[in-house]
Amino acid sequence: MSYLGRGAEILVGLAFAWAGVVKLMDPSAFLAAILTYEVFGHAFAVVASLLVPYLEVCVGAGLVFGTLKQGSRLIAIALLIAFVVLLVQAAIRGLDADCGCFGGSEMASESGYAWPIARDVLMLAGLAIGIVVERVSRDKSVR
Amino acid sequence: MRPVKEAALLLAIAFTCSVAAFFVHPKAPSFRASGLDRDLSAILALPEVFWVDARSDDDYEKAHFEGAILLNEDRWEELIVGFLDAWSPDATTVIYCSSAACPRSHEVAARLKSELEIENVLVLEGGWEALVEAGLVEEADE
Repeated sequence: MSYLGRGAEILVGLAFAWAGVVKLMDPSAFLAAILTYEVFGHAFAVVASLLVPYLEVCVGAGLVFGTLKQGSRLIAIALLIAFVVLLVQAAIRGLDADCGCFGGSEMASESGYAWPIARDVLMLAGLAIGIVVERVSRDKSVR
Repeated sequence: MRPVKEAALLLAIAFTCSVAAFFVHPKAPSFRASGLDRDLSAILALPEVFWVDARSDDDYEKAHFEGAILLNEDRWEELIVGFLDAWSPDATTVIYCSSAACPRSHEVAARLKSELEIENVLVLEGGWEALVEAGLVEEADE
């Protein structure tokens, strides 16, 4: 059972780390993607384009290696919720936003919003499995 | 409290790395959007302005700045004809889109510069929202 939770967290961690590494190789491309959501001003978007990739790498490493795991979970959940909110608002407004999720150009007009949103929800589910399994295992060991 | 403390530590690590990247990364973005941005007062001080609306067709139909020509990337090939018919080389071409967060005006400006070699191009800081705030246009009803 504990393997399931740990495995789910490692998969989510690898996805985060990969997304971060790809973005931090070209922050300007990520900035362009952020601006297509038409939510943030340029200055905030610049900060996000530099901070989010490193945060994703740190969180990914935390989830994979199990160091600072609770903090990594907290930030991962916050980031995933923020990503879903951004994608949903772009879909509602009919914007042709560039997901920017894993680098490269992933325009909504080509790939739609359903898969990026579903991917984020799946990652949230993976984190939830990790937390629940850990709680259950801890409760059993206490008894 | 442990998750919050750990998250704060991770944030601090990521922040430190991002500050370093800002100074040393060859592809680090700049806080200055481009050399093209000007606020409304600077634009209004220009002797002659040729206004370009880079928003969507629907937004333009609802309302636009008086005299502004529609030019967006959605229908670039069609709209560029009307733009060239109306464009005046003596006037400064000023492009606006919906807000400060809208990238379309910069994309249109970049294409006008690269494809038509029009150098006298500026972008209105704040876009349509700045025009509404200044009372120069009225917000269109949804």
